Amino acid sequence: MTYPKCDLPAEPPFLEIDHVGRVFRTSNSDTYIALKDVYLEIKRGEFISIIGHSGCGKSTLLNILAGLDRASSGGIVLEGSEIKKPGPDRMVVFQNHSLLPWLTVRQNIALGVNRVFKHLSKQDRSQLVEEHIDMVNLRAAADKLPKEISGGMKQRVGIARALALRPKVLLLDEPFGALDALTRGGLQEQLMKICNDHKISAVMVTHDVDEALLLSDRIVMMTNGPSAKIGEILTVELPRPRSRMEIVNNPNYYRMRGELVEFLNRQKKIKLNKSKQQETAAISRGKLEKVNLQIGFIPLTDCAPLAIALENGLFAKHGLDVTLSRESSWGSIAAGIKEERLDAAQMVAGMPLSLTLGMGGNQPVPIKTALTLSRNGNAITLSNQLLNSGVKDLATLKQFIDNSSDKLTFGIVHRASMHNFLLRHWLASGGINPDKDVELIVIPPAQMVSNLIAGNIIGYCTGEPWNSRAVHENIGFVIATDMGIWSGHPEKVLGVRAEWAEKYPNTHLALVKALLEACQFCDPMPNREQVLQVICQPKYLNADSVYVRPGFAGVYRTGTGDSLYLQNFNQFLVDNAPMRSEQLWILAQMDRWAILPFPRDYETVIDRLLDIDTYRQAAEQLEIPISSELMLPITLVDGSVFDPKQPSPFAMIA
Amino acid sequence: MQTLSLSDSLSEDRTTVNRDPFLVVDRVSKVYPTPRGPYSVLENINLTVYEGEFICVIGHSGCGKSTLLNMVAGFNRPTTGEICLKSKPITKPGPDRMVVFQNYSLLPWMTAFENIYLAVKNVYPEKSKAEKTKIVMEHLDMVGLADAANKKPKQLSGGMKQRVCIARALSIRPEILILDEPFGALDILTREELQEELLKIWQEHRVTVLMITHDIDEAIFLSDRIVMMTNGPAAEIGEIVEVPFPRPRDRALIGEDPRYFTLRNQALDFLFNRFAVDDH
Repeated sequence: MTYPKCDLPAEPPFLEIDHVGRVFRTSNSDTYIALKDVYLEIKRGEFISIIGHSGCGKSTLLNILAGLDRASSGGIVLEGSEIKKPGPDRMVVFQNHSLLPWLTVRQNIALGVNRVFKHLSKQDRSQLVEEHIDMVNLRAAADKLPKEISGGMKQRVGIARALALRPKVLLLDEPFGALDALTRGGLQEQLMKICNDHKISAVMVTHDVDEALLLSDRIVMMTNGPSAKIGEILTVELPRPRSRMEIVNNPNYYRMRGELVEFLNRQKKIKLNKSKQQETAAISRGKLEKVNLQIGFIPLTDCAPLAIALENGLFAKHGLDVTLSRESSWGSIAAGIKEERLDAAQMVAGMPLSLTLGMGGNQPVPIKTALTLSRNGNAITLSNQLLNSGVKDLATLKQFIDNSSDKLTFGIVHRASMHNFLLRHWLASGGINPDKDVELIVIPPAQMVSNLIAGNIIGYCTGEPWNSRAVHENIGFVIATDMGIWSGHPEKVLGVRAEWAEKYPNTHLALVKALLEACQFCDPMPNREQVLQVICQPKYLNADSVYVRPGFAGVYRTGTGDSLYLQNFNQFLVDNAPMRSEQLWILAQMDRWAILPFPRDYETVIDRLLDIDTYRQAAEQLEIPISSELMLPITLVDGSVFDPKQPSPFAMIA
Repeated sequence: MQTLSLSDSLSEDRTTVNRDPFLVVDRVSKVYPTPRGPYSVLENINLTVYEGEFICVIGHSGCGKSTLLNMVAGFNRPTTGEICLKSKPITKPGPDRMVVFQNYSLLPWMTAFENIYLAVKNVYPEKSKAEKTKIVMEHLDMVGLADAANKKPKQLSGGMKQRVCIARALSIRPEILILDEPFGALDILTREELQEELLKIWQEHRVTVLMITHDIDEAIFLSDRIVMMTNGPAAEIGEIVEVPFPRPRDRALIGEDPRYFTLRNQALDFLFNRFAVDDH
């Protein structure tokens, strides 16, 4: 979980939900813990949404904020004073508008104004009322009774009535929940405009992910009750002012939407299948400390070793009962490992380091990796629009960028992935500054093609089948494969929490053995068609083999008429031991691109990160030859050399 | 009549369905006289639905989509044009077209069993009591409510009530199932659960479905084609989009298909940009 950083720690937060808990007494003198230890700081002018399934305590939390309910532990502080009862500084808009039926729209709004602003002149009060009638666009209906106006209009009266009292915080409890999805859409845009124009601080409870994304600065995701707590917080990276059609075409939109939907789906699964939760409890058998494992993977061609280990019974052979968990983004893999939902995962090569070092201000989670699962397998795809403008290589891309008035946006799958490092290195080698001349944004692999079609991005660097898919559908072309940048680079690795590896050493060894055997199966070309049939199934890639075969089991097409015979495009059985030199290269790249500073104790960091011992044991038992790493310099295709024996960030010699 | 008893003879592949027009809406308009002159709700609606298709109709409130469905159900007649089911004009309600509404409409003093039994009795007066009971239980079972047969509506959750309504509609083996925003009042979890059940039932019964919804994701998940209506008065069919996802459908897999985003944005553009409404 990440908390927002306070820019000025000296200044108290505008609104603080300080470790709030709420316990209800139930009839038979039992207790029900609705909320547990909820902590959140809210800035002035911020719009926060709280999202979760019914029973996640979100309305309880809102009621506590409103002062309609009291916290059992902790409390709420608004501008330095504690909230104990309802007040006009916090107005609530409920789902069932609760307008007085015998009063007109104007009278309903005036009611509160006349009560709260007694000290103002009649004229001032009237002006306040009229101003808010205009704010919600109800001038024409001002003299109508509630029964004479539509549900959406009633809800707008509710908002005007609340805002007319000039609250410090507007609280909204599923304000549009009773309206149909389309009416809701129009009202959301109106509310957004009002909040923008008047810099209103608001907390809204909702279960509508699109509503939350449109309106919020941050979205707080609550876990299921009992003992509901904050599961994750999403910062909504969409520029303001927003409009619905603009944001759905922002390349970040569906990534964030995916994160919310995935969180809610995970909570839904837990809710619908409570008994299944026990699965995470370790079941041991013989020497194996834990045999029931949840392993995360991303539906990409190079998930092959995991799929084969399961389908060919290799996990079972080594005594493991594995469930593969198909994840939609690398972010969700990282979260799954952090929150211990996953025992192990396929990771992009830099993720063990990024988690261990707490990239992006996150809490560090020490990771161990004992196996490199695959090498190569990536490419850089550009929109055919560029091809038609004469872009055919790095030099012509640079020309295009120099002549373009707009900044081009490229998709990468994770900040700690080889895709990011390789794309940056490639751009930089052609004189393009990846931080200044273009924009790089994180998008899940599966959303690259749709964003390319929609014109939200101009290109991307990702694994297969997403490059071949763009080529096959004639919307993009491959301008470079990773083999033209660093041939033989590490791509996916196995990652587990360090604590997990210590607790379950024999299980870890069995897992590495099963996957290493799977790598042995996936590597030889004669087996590839068979592997292809496995991974194309809906439970893995859910893709037509036409998109997956290129490069993996056949000719690779770039979309510019070139057919490449790439023997090593997907490698599964070369140097599977985790290598210090490669992780040092990654560290240097993270420093080079200001992702993470080069740690002074890098020797220790790498020592703890790599579980070479487990790999050696596994390889020995499978009679795979092993040798000590020689720490040879890494030479990239552009001629740049990295000397792992002098791994300062300046070791990159261009 | 296409029902579960025929399932053996039915092919798995839906592409083999009969491509003869099944339901044809031919140049239909609906105009109401008012003191201020004629008020046109629908104008020149043309739609051909094939047997076994799942069609969703989406549009803003007041776009006449309920009027259209009411005419298919036979509650209402077109002012001009004609609606035909298997080449026969629809002139009145009939058991070959069953409607499920958002607000359950179960008789509150009757149990789930009795509510369905009543419908079966009306349509099949000649069947024996044992036969009728069997049909009712089969359909309660189909919606997973065999255990709740003797419960009255007030003892059932919203989702369960809607299941009873679907079971009741299907128990008389209609050719077309007409659903008027059936899940609009349900929370998201129940809604998704019922959508999945509905698809399963549709797949097994191969009944033709015409469904009104306001929910774009629901339409994408369920239908073969989405009919998008322009705004009233004089609403028309603005656009019909094919939903290309193979069946049986998996929500998660659809959510990661590049075509999903394109389709969703196309529908959003239609409803919130080209035919946006301001709620006045």
